[in-house]
Amino acid sequence: MSFYKSFIKLKFIAGLQYRFAAIAGICTQFFFGFIYIMVYNAFYENGGYNGISIESLISYIWLNQAFFSIVNLYYKDKEIINTIKNGNISYELTRPKNVFFMWYAKILGTRLSNVVTRFLPIILVSLILPKNYRLGMPSSLESFILFIITFILGIILVNLITTFYHVIMMKTLDERGVVGIFITIGDILSGLAVPLPLFPKFLQKVANLFPFRYIGDLPFRIYSGNISVTDGLKSILIQILWIIVIAILGYILSKKILKKVVVNGG
Amino acid sequence: MGWIVISGFFACEGSDYEMSFIKVEALNKSFKVVKKENGLINSIRSFFNRKYEVINAINNVSFSIEKGEVVGYIGPNGAGKSTTVKILSGILTPDSGTCKIGNYTPWLDREKYVKEIGVVFGQRSQLWWDIPATDTFDLLKEIYDINDEEFIKTKNELISTLNLKEIMNIPVRNLSLGQRMRLEIAASLIHSPKILFLDEPAIGLDAISKEIVRKFIKKINKEKNVTVILTTHDMNDIEALAKRIILIGKGRVLYDGTLKKLKNKYDNYKYITIYTKDKLIIRNKAIVSKEKLPNGYKIIINSKIINISDFLSIISKKVLIDDVEIENENVDSIIVKLYEEFGI
Amino acid sequence: MRLYFKAFKLNIRSFMQYKASFILSFISQLITVFSYYFIIIALFTKFDNIKGFTLYEVLLCFGIIQFGFSFNELFARGLDQFDRLIIDGGFDRLLLRPKNIIIQVLSTDSDLTKSARLLESFVIIIISLIKLNLSWTFLKALTLILMLISSCIIFFGIFLISASYCFFTIQGLEFRNLLADGGKHIAQYPIGIFKKGILYFFTFIIPYGFVNYYPLLYLLGRKDNMLYAFSPLVVLIYLVPCFSLFYKACKRYASTGS
Repeated sequence: MSFYKSFIKLKFIAGLQYRFAAIAGICTQFFFGFIYIMVYNAFYENGGYNGISIESLISYIWLNQAFFSIVNLYYKDKEIINTIKNGNISYELTRPKNVFFMWYAKILGTRLSNVVTRFLPIILVSLILPKNYRLGMPSSLESFILFIITFILGIILVNLITTFYHVIMMKTLDERGVVGIFITIGDILSGLAVPLPLFPKFLQKVANLFPFRYIGDLPFRIYSGNISVTDGLKSILIQILWIIVIAILGYILSKKILKKVVVNGG
Repeated sequence: MGWIVISGFFACEGSDYEMSFIKVEALNKSFKVVKKENGLINSIRSFFNRKYEVINAINNVSFSIEKGEVVGYIGPNGAGKSTTVKILSGILTPDSGTCKIGNYTPWLDREKYVKEIGVVFGQRSQLWWDIPATDTFDLLKEIYDINDEEFIKTKNELISTLNLKEIMNIPVRNLSLGQRMRLEIAASLIHSPKILFLDEPAIGLDAISKEIVRKFIKKINKEKNVTVILTTHDMNDIEALAKRIILIGKGRVLYDGTLKKLKNKYDNYKYITIYTKDKLIIRNKAIVSKEKLPNGYKIIINSKIINISDFLSIISKKVLIDDVEIENENVDSIIVKLYEEFGI
Repeated sequence: MRLYFKAFKLNIRSFMQYKASFILSFISQLITVFSYYFIIIALFTKFDNIKGFTLYEVLLCFGIIQFGFSFNELFARGLDQFDRLIIDGGFDRLLLRPKNIIIQVLSTDSDLTKSARLLESFVIIIISLIKLNLSWTFLKALTLILMLISSCIIFFGIFLISASYCFFTIQGLEFRNLLADGGKHIAQYPIGIFKKGILYFFTFIIPYGFVNYYPLLYLLGRKDNMLYAFSPLVVLIYLVPCFSLFYKACKRYASTGS
């Protein structure tokens, strides 16, 4: 365990070097936050509830923007992709640690440093914006606590999924193709592109069958009260279930693929 | 008419007639880099408050090179080699100083000037990875506006001298490093440049490829009077190709002269390894350095001051010698010694 | 230009070396772009208009912007991925050659998988036009063509600016992406739906308005003034500062080499 911990710490420190990237990231997130809110404001102008109030939607957008660097599914670890592409992957077998969990630590560390250097300014500023653009307060203390819990689980889940498709890349040797399709579909079903309440009914049902909506959609909606505390509590169980399933699947898959890689001589 | 033919493409006007082909004077170039910090606390601190330092990549560098010379430009990593090459090839503008190559100043007359030079970077490729090299050559023909006749002639010459016939039509990714390097060199010479820059051309090459490359460079230098500037770590390359070396360290020119002269200076140095169990205490003017080994001593002496047999007889009076080895200095260790001498 | 076409052919050949990967990436691109259109379509299942603009009007707008953007992703990939050229030293190599630097940069790469996006945007435009059932005139057809061309031009200009960014630093590429993707995201909607300040910014600073808002109004019959029909031509002026910025930045690069 301490091995993984120091690994996370190492990656975290490395990530801190990129100050300029952090500033640029914050600006980007602000910019897109404003655009999305402007678009939704325009849509909501004629009134209507549509499954989520405009206030909840705005909070959703700011939380999504603030934590974008850790909840998005598009993250690709350059270092890992390089070891896959140049065949150094066989070295991973010589190490006494499992690839899946080692990569998980690597990815988590990098992404934690990304989010830590970015989220605070976005949260603070969006809390004091004019009313039509403001991040609201959590709907109650209970929902705030539940938000924290589900969000931590969401972070664990998204990084497991991220690690999972890095493992798939070991097989496909290509970060676009199959993995690209996987990510795009995951992104839609996560609700992070369009919040799930704005989906057509049948697609909402489809999204419920996959793990992606338990990354950010769940905690962000709990925060604003769009999902009630009782419903949220039930969802925690599903979150944990998905975490276990993906960790086991990823572990088995990594072992299987790595064995083949070695047989084929990299 | 006569002198125009002799000076080739860079037919100079009268006033420039006696100037060197390449003349570099008092070049300076510095860069600003971020200071790296260690540890979590320092990393966080440096996230908010970044420190910079200025590095003088090259410092008052001057030299001149005649047409048809082969010059080895050597120095340890970070000495300023590639900065100099970048300036000479027109990619980088120096902070101050002048550089005249033929009638051109590289960074001012870049587009015209670059037609006259070829550059090989040992670690970078200009060949298209997924298609045969012959296609890259066709593209280069377009880039350098080479006419058909000239192109075919030069290409055939390169194919025969570098032995490229079989590898020309295979996708580059399927070739070995040595094969790729040969194609790389050919690609840099397809427009018949007057100057060839070779930046670490031998990295990772096998012995046979190295030999082919060296022979080829000698050949084009001799037959086409191409001026060659070679940067490398491999002293064997230098020994095989360059009569003259320019040694650079910490951005300054430390030595500029023939390799032979450099060797002579250190030629008197002999490495003597004495195997003994006894403790050796000796003072002698001829000793350049003395180093304790687990089973004896390694001593370097200047054989001009004392000859070896005399030196050994002094030693044998002091300790019981189990065995002795005597070696001459090789070029590698000369360079290492030079670096040490200049403290780089 | 001959150089560019020759290089483009070589690029196609390079891609054809990996047919399976190409097909998969092509499909992946189709799905990715479809997800953009999906967002719009999904939103319109809940709302029937956005400030008076209907689904197909917005989709037309969307399609035209995507058309110009993916056109450049396909043919000006070298500019789009300029950071890579700087990082791996490929740009230094280009400086060692006696040809126009922009043509050379364009020649380095073309991403054929982006043709999926181009195709898809074209399909969306056609579908929208059919559904909108416009009363066509010669001038309206011309306006549509001008919109498509100006969309390609404006993104070329923006790619030039974002490539210039890489001359200064290869850090914080998000800034660079903000320029291309951020503006694109707004321009996908008829810009008039936003606040006046946004409309002015994208009229006078980055002229997206002339690509798909002012001419769109003419196309949809909301404005009759001929000036609206020919407004996409304004984008040509925009190219001047883009080119000069690129050349200036290129010069500066030679003095810092960073």
